[in-house]
Amino acid sequence: MRTPPIIELDRVSIRHEGANRPTPAGVSFDVAPGEVVLILGPSGCGKSTLALALDGLVPHAVPAELEGTVRVAGLDSREHPVGVLSEHVAMVFQDPDAQIVTGSVLDEVCFAPENQLVEAPEVLARAERALKLVGLWDRRTESPDTLSGGGRQRLAIACALAMAAPVLVLDEPTANLDPAGIDEVYAVLRELADDDDHAIVLVEHNLDSAVDLVDRVIVLDAGGRLVIDGPARETLRERADELAALGVWLPVSTLAAMRLRDAGVPIGPLPLTPAELAEALDALPHLPAPLSSSSPVRSTALAPTPSLATATGGLAAVTAPVIRARGVSVRRGGRRGPVVVHDVDLEVAAGEFLAIVGTNGAGKTSLLQALAGVVEAPRGTVEVLGVDPARADARERARRVGFVFQNPEHQFIAGSARDELEQGLRLQGLGDAEVTEACDRMLRRFGLEELAEQHPFLLSGGQKRRLSVGTALVAGAPVLALDEPTFGQDRARAAELLDMLRSLNDEGTTVLVVTHDLQLVADYATRLAVMRGGRLLGVGATGEVLAGPLIEQAGLRHPPLARATRGLEHHPEWHTVTRMSQLPVATGGAR
Amino acid sequence: MSGTAGPLPAADAIVTTGAIPATGAIATRRGPLATLNPLAKLAAPLPAMLVVVFSRDLLLPTAFIVLALLVLLIGARLPGRVVAALLIGTPLAAIVLGVSFGVWVDPSRLSGPETSIVLFSIGEWSFTLAAYLVGFTTGLRILAILLLSLMAGMTSTGPEFVRAMVQNLRVPYRIGYTALAALRFVPRFGHELEIIRAAHRVRGTVRGRGPIAATRRAFGTAVPLLASAIRHAERVALAMDARAFGAHTTRTERVLSPWRVRDTLFVAGFVAVSALIVWATWGR
Repeated sequence: MRTPPIIELDRVSIRHEGANRPTPAGVSFDVAPGEVVLILGPSGCGKSTLALALDGLVPHAVPAELEGTVRVAGLDSREHPVGVLSEHVAMVFQDPDAQIVTGSVLDEVCFAPENQLVEAPEVLARAERALKLVGLWDRRTESPDTLSGGGRQRLAIACALAMAAPVLVLDEPTANLDPAGIDEVYAVLRELADDDDHAIVLVEHNLDSAVDLVDRVIVLDAGGRLVIDGPARETLRERADELAALGVWLPVSTLAAMRLRDAGVPIGPLPLTPAELAEALDALPHLPAPLSSSSPVRSTALAPTPSLATATGGLAAVTAPVIRARGVSVRRGGRRGPVVVHDVDLEVAAGEFLAIVGTNGAGKTSLLQALAGVVEAPRGTVEVLGVDPARADARERARRVGFVFQNPEHQFIAGSARDELEQGLRLQGLGDAEVTEACDRMLRRFGLEELAEQHPFLLSGGQKRRLSVGTALVAGAPVLALDEPTFGQDRARAAELLDMLRSLNDEGTTVLVVTHDLQLVADYATRLAVMRGGRLLGVGATGEVLAGPLIEQAGLRHPPLARATRGLEHHPEWHTVTRMSQLPVATGGAR
Repeated sequence: MSGTAGPLPAADAIVTTGAIPATGAIATRRGPLATLNPLAKLAAPLPAMLVVVFSRDLLLPTAFIVLALLVLLIGARLPGRVVAALLIGTPLAAIVLGVSFGVWVDPSRLSGPETSIVLFSIGEWSFTLAAYLVGFTTGLRILAILLLSLMAGMTSTGPEFVRAMVQNLRVPYRIGYTALAALRFVPRFGHELEIIRAAHRVRGTVRGRGPIAATRRAFGTAVPLLASAIRHAERVALAMDARAFGAHTTRTERVLSPWRVRDTLFVAGFVAVSALIVWATWGR
């Protein structure tokens, strides 16, 4: 006889307060003990809402209307409070900082079982087991603040484990982490998936990490309806086209293989991991030559369908540098604070798309802020179009360089989208007619003309981001600097933003980004600056840097495509293929 | 104040305030004061504080300053830096406070021979010894109250206070622990405020001087800070709900905060010494 399911969903629809249609809509499925289930779907399909319904937070703690029934270990979630359901389902959320309540690692892990009135010796025994599993037992007396992002998320997993619930629900657990943190968290999850003690329900858009540990995938469409429910590997392999059409982010290796298949390369079953892609490629006796980096074909992991570059911008002839930095050092927190950037020399030419990469704490954000004049570097070390940006007045600086902070809300200062843009124009001392005209042009350029009178805080996430880029550029700055522009965003939003940056770059804007997403870097940036420990390890053309040793020296991991091609035995000419746009295209395949 | 709340399981896993091996609390803070119940350290100086508030002369607050310093120096093993700050800072602060309070004293209400001794004068207005002495006494009273409250403040942590309130005073744990979680927001918001200020500076909003511009700037930073504070608080609340916070009327107390004989003795002893000081110094 089959073991009874631990979670049963029957025609579950959830409508958030104020929303006009439910997402998810009419979803039914069961989760068996020990199963690892991945929930996929485009943004806005209600994956996270569904996760909240699995332990009763919907409808008990979140203002939303639940139809249908959710049963947890046979208990109807509507009739039992979260406290009771939490004996069966433990949750891990996206933001590690928003899950920490106490002042020490040990107290944190003990928090949930203490609330559940577990007796003290058992609390400690559970805490020890959970902390040892995630590798934090030796740090139990420390404050959670001293842990890295990945460490804090492992702590959140330990807290969930200490509840001794048979189901673990994780809602985008790695969306706020750098690559090292993602690896740490998945190493722990892999162990949990292997020992079969827990059923795991994972909501994740980063399939590259998740794919090798899940048993089953459930896919929702944009309307929140369940469209696919099947075994993980077979589903991802055999229905990849369908998934891509739904807006689901497939593993980079799968996308690359689909591109190659379209180009006429006979790849058998679609690979899901870099290792499988490498194997599939090596099995072929002959591969077409990869495209050179100067080819006009464009394709990225975010938008894999190849297209042709239309603009002539990008890598133009060598021009005078727009940013010149000599011996830049940055000290944080006043005169006695630590030096976070050491003696960096860097030149950025007009029209470049430069990415600064490194692990957390490598000093990338501080360097970017120094280059854009947000923080002060020593006098005379930074020059942007002839001025020292930290010492120029706001008007002069705004004409040269725009800076976009990680959270766009931080930069909003006015009561409507139009006022946000006008503020920058008035700062330049323009007259009313000019201000209105330039402002309208900017609103159109960023697709916000309908929302001109809207309060900036009431815009959607993507609109907020567009507006913040608009305000940075409105004074006519030819240089745009962005700090972690895709951090914590899903694929659709990341793609929207990056395509916008690319088109700005095509129009001649010099773009600088700080990021830890290396596939993004590989696909979009023309040059790469690699940092470690506050020092610049090297700068170079993206392809060369990704093919060289700098990435590993910086403590980073190569992006998935580079990982697949680096080890090819039979096709050495493919070792430098790191970007989707280098993959060969069938004749007439790109438009 | 009596006993301990909740069931008492096998004693080996239970830790009490003061003996803090595995709880992660600050291990460097030791000395006899740290082993007392935080509520005892809070309650003992209360009568003394009350008397200091209503005292008029110089000797009484000085005596309580000395008493509080003695208890702190003997009872808590403070780092040398803190000891130096206490011993040098206290008299220095009293002297400075004497001037800053003294200038606000209404000269027409002063009398006695000290009114004729002018320390310095600016134009028509002169600062007399009498005014300084009134200011000095006020400063001493404030310092006495501060140092008396430091006896508890410097020798116990926030979680210890909350535990004592929940266990000894029967304050609902939902209130105590929520307050503790909210305290963790403070450094986070400080950091966030710094970023928002930098972001607004980049936008070129730092224009104009004076209180009106400053108020507008402060309001401008408050909106994004509040928006993110509310969002953060909602997330933390969800995470706490998901971890069964508030599911039961009590929770397991892994660290006990007992009220022992020594706590009673400390309170009684301190109140007795306070009474003695008041008897010896009142009105002198």
